[in-house]
Amino acid sequence: MKILIIEDEARIAKRVERMTRDFFDKDVQILLSDSLESGLIAIENNPIDLLLLDLNLNGEDGFEILQTFVAGPFQTIIISAYTDKAITAFNYGVLDFVPKPFDQNRLEQAFMRFTAQGKQSGGDVRFLAVRKAKTFRLVPINEILYIKGAGIYTELHLANNKIELHDKSLEALEKLLPETFERIHKSYILCWEQADKIVVEAGGKYSMQLKNGDLLPIGRSKYKEIKNKLI
Amino acid sequence: MCTSCNYYKEYVTTDVTYDVDYDHQKMDWGKPDSSSFRFETNVEIQKRKNTSQSLGLQINAFGAFDVYWDGVLIGRNGQMAQADRVEVPGTETSYYQIPNNLSKLGKHNVVLMGSQTYNKEVERGIDVKLKDYLQLQRSPLIVVSFMNIMAGAFLIAGIYYFFLYLNSTRKELAVLLFGIICLLFFCLLIIEYVKYYLDIPYNEFYTRLKIIGWLTFAVSMLIPWYFMLQFEFKRKKLVLFFLFIVLLAVYIGYYGHYDISAAYFTITARFFSIVIAIEAAIRKAKGGLIVAAGLLAGVVVNYFMFYDFGLFIAFTILVLCMLYLHTIRAKAMEEAHNASLLLSSRLQLELIKKNIQPHFLRNTLTSLIDWIEESPKEGVVFIRALAEEFDIMNDIAEDTLIPIRQEIDLCRRHLEVMSFRKEICYEWQEERIDQNETIPPAIFHTIIENGITHSLPPKEGCIVFCFKFTREKQFKTYTLLTLAKNRQTKKDKRVGTGFKYIEARLTESYGTNWSFDSHAVEKGWETIIKIFD
Repeated sequence: MKILIIEDEARIAKRVERMTRDFFDKDVQILLSDSLESGLIAIENNPIDLLLLDLNLNGEDGFEILQTFVAGPFQTIIISAYTDKAITAFNYGVLDFVPKPFDQNRLEQAFMRFTAQGKQSGGDVRFLAVRKAKTFRLVPINEILYIKGAGIYTELHLANNKIELHDKSLEALEKLLPETFERIHKSYILCWEQADKIVVEAGGKYSMQLKNGDLLPIGRSKYKEIKNKLI
Repeated sequence: MCTSCNYYKEYVTTDVTYDVDYDHQKMDWGKPDSSSFRFETNVEIQKRKNTSQSLGLQINAFGAFDVYWDGVLIGRNGQMAQADRVEVPGTETSYYQIPNNLSKLGKHNVVLMGSQTYNKEVERGIDVKLKDYLQLQRSPLIVVSFMNIMAGAFLIAGIYYFFLYLNSTRKELAVLLFGIICLLFFCLLIIEYVKYYLDIPYNEFYTRLKIIGWLTFAVSMLIPWYFMLQFEFKRKKLVLFFLFIVLLAVYIGYYGHYDISAAYFTITARFFSIVIAIEAAIRKAKGGLIVAAGLLAGVVVNYFMFYDFGLFIAFTILVLCMLYLHTIRAKAMEEAHNASLLLSSRLQLELIKKNIQPHFLRNTLTSLIDWIEESPKEGVVFIRALAEEFDIMNDIAEDTLIPIRQEIDLCRRHLEVMSFRKEICYEWQEERIDQNETIPPAIFHTIIENGITHSLPPKEGCIVFCFKFTREKQFKTYTLLTLAKNRQTKKDKRVGTGFKYIEARLTESYGTNWSFDSHAVEKGWETIIKIFD
C-alpha cells in the first residue's frame, strides 16, 4: 500500500508519517511532499492508495487542487488547520477531515474509515469530481441514477441519460456516497429514490426495475436486505 | 451774484406717495469763477388726503446751501461760503420738513441759495423730491436694516472661515479666500449703505464710490479664483491673468463712472464664475451643478431688480452656494477621517489576528504537541519562544509606531517558533540599526512570514534574513534580504493580503512619504522600504 503525505511543516509531516506507520505496520510505503506541485508529480509517478493532505500549503488555497485529487482513484483524507473548511471538503468527496491539532486516536479513526468496508463518510458529499481531458467536472450527486463498476473504473449513469467515467473503484465510491445510495450487486450502486419494484425472472434471478424502466441485477446475498428495505 | 435756473415739476401721482422720478437738471454755472449759486424750481401739490402728515423735501445736490420753501427758510445743508468765512461743505443727500401751514394745494416755490467751492469740475445736477416726510426718513431705514442683516451674515461667515483657516493644519487657500471674500462683502455692504447714517461732506462723495469700486474689483477677482480652487480648475494662472486684464480694462475704460465700472466688474466676475462652474458641472465635479444654478439664478435676479439690491442678492445667493460647497467639503473630510479611524482599527485587528488565525495557531499547536510528546525539553523551549512572541504582539497591538528593536525582537521570536515547526535553521543578521528609529508594527514580521512560506528549505545550512538600515539626506531605507531559493508559485502570491497590510500601515504613519518594493533577486528575495522626511 502506498500513502502520500502532502504537508509543508516538517515536524507535522514527521508526526503524520510516524502515526501512519504505526497504524499500517510494515506493509506501507510512505511518500512525503512539502508542496502541492511536488505532490502532484509524486501521484503521477506512483499510483497511491491514500492521500493525506494539508489544505493550506505555503499560502496557497488547496481547494483548487482538491478537485484534482478527489477525481483520482485513491481516497483523500484532509489534515488541516482550517476547520471551517471541513464541510466544503466533505462536499467535494473526501473520506475524512482531521482537524489540527490531532492525536493518534483521531488519525487512526480516519484510517479505520479507509480500511473498513461499506459506507464511511458522513454522507456530506455533494459532487463527484470527474476527470475530463485536462479539466474537471463536478457531477452533482442528485443527478446520479446508479453507478456501475467497470474494472478499476466506474460508470456514473446520470438523469440526462449520459454516462460519466470515474477513476475511483465502486468500493472506494461506496465509502463516500450518502445514505440514499445502496449497493445492490457487486457491480451496482443504486440511488434508492430511483428504485421502483423487484422483478423476479426465470431461474430465480432478481432484478430491480428503476422508475425510468431500466433493469439492474440484484446480488443473491443482497436480495433479502433489499426486499425488506423496499417494503 | 446769483445764477438762477428754473425747475418745474408737475405732480400727477396720487397724494399718498407724491413720488417723483429723478430729474437731472443741468446747472448753468454762469460765472465759472464764482462759487455761489442760486437754484429755483416750482412744484405743484395737486391733491392731498391726509393733511395731518408733514411733507418733506429730499434734495440731492453738491454744495453748502440754504433751502427756502415759498420764501421761508426750511433748512440748511452745511455753511455756504461768505466774504469772511470759508464754506463748510454740506452732504449730498439732505432732507427738509415742510411746515404744515405751507403745504396747501397749488404751486409752490423752492429756492436753494448757496456755494460750491469743491468739485466744481463735476457738473452734477440738482434733484428735488417732494414726499411724505415720514416716508422719506423711513425708507432708507428699511433698506439699511435688510442690508445690515446680510452684512452681519457675511461678517460672521468671514470670521468663522478665518478661524477655520488659522486652526486648520492643512492651511487651505480656498478657506482663506472664502474668508477674505466674506469680509470684503461685509465692507462693501457697510460702505455702500453708510450714506444713510453718516453725513459725508459732498467733497468726499467720490471717496466712498472709489472705495466701493476697489472693493468690487477685489471681490470680482477673488470669486472666480475661489471657484477655480474649489473645482480644481486647470490653467488657474492663465484665467486669473486674463480676468485681471479685463477688470483693469473696465477700470481704465470707465474711470470716473463709478456705478458703471462696478456693474461691469461684477458682470465680468459673474461671467468667469459661470464659465468655471459650468465647466465643473460638465466634469461632474462635486457641487458644480449647484453653483452653476445659483449663479444663473443671480443673473435672473439682477435682470429684474434695481442694480445694487440685485447685486447684493445675487452675491448672497453666491455665498450660499459657497457655503453649500463648504459643507460638502466638510462632509467629505469627515468621511475621510472616519475611514482612516476605521482603517486604523482594522489594522489593529489584522495585527492581533496574525497570531490567532487558525493556520498559525493550530499548526503551531500540532508541532508543539509533537515536540512535547517526543522531546519534552525542547518542547519547553518552543513554548517559551511562542510565549515571548505573544508577549511582544500584545505590547504592540495598539501602537501605530514601535521602536525598531521591538520589531526585530518580534521577528527573531517568530523565526525561533518557525524553526521548531519547520525544523529549518533560520538565521537573523542585522547591520547599522539605529535604535532610536521607529516603524509601524509587524511590517517586517509580515515580510519574514512571507519569506518563510515562499522559501525552499536549504539542503544544508540556514535560511538567512539580513536586515539593513541606511540613512540618506532625505530618506531612510530598510532592506530585508532573504537568502534562500524561492518556491515556484503559479500566481505571485506574495503580493497578497500581507503586502496590503504593510502598505496600509505605512500610509497610516507616513501618508504618501514612503515607497515599498519587494522582488525576487538572484540570492533570494529583497524587500526595500524607503521613508522620506
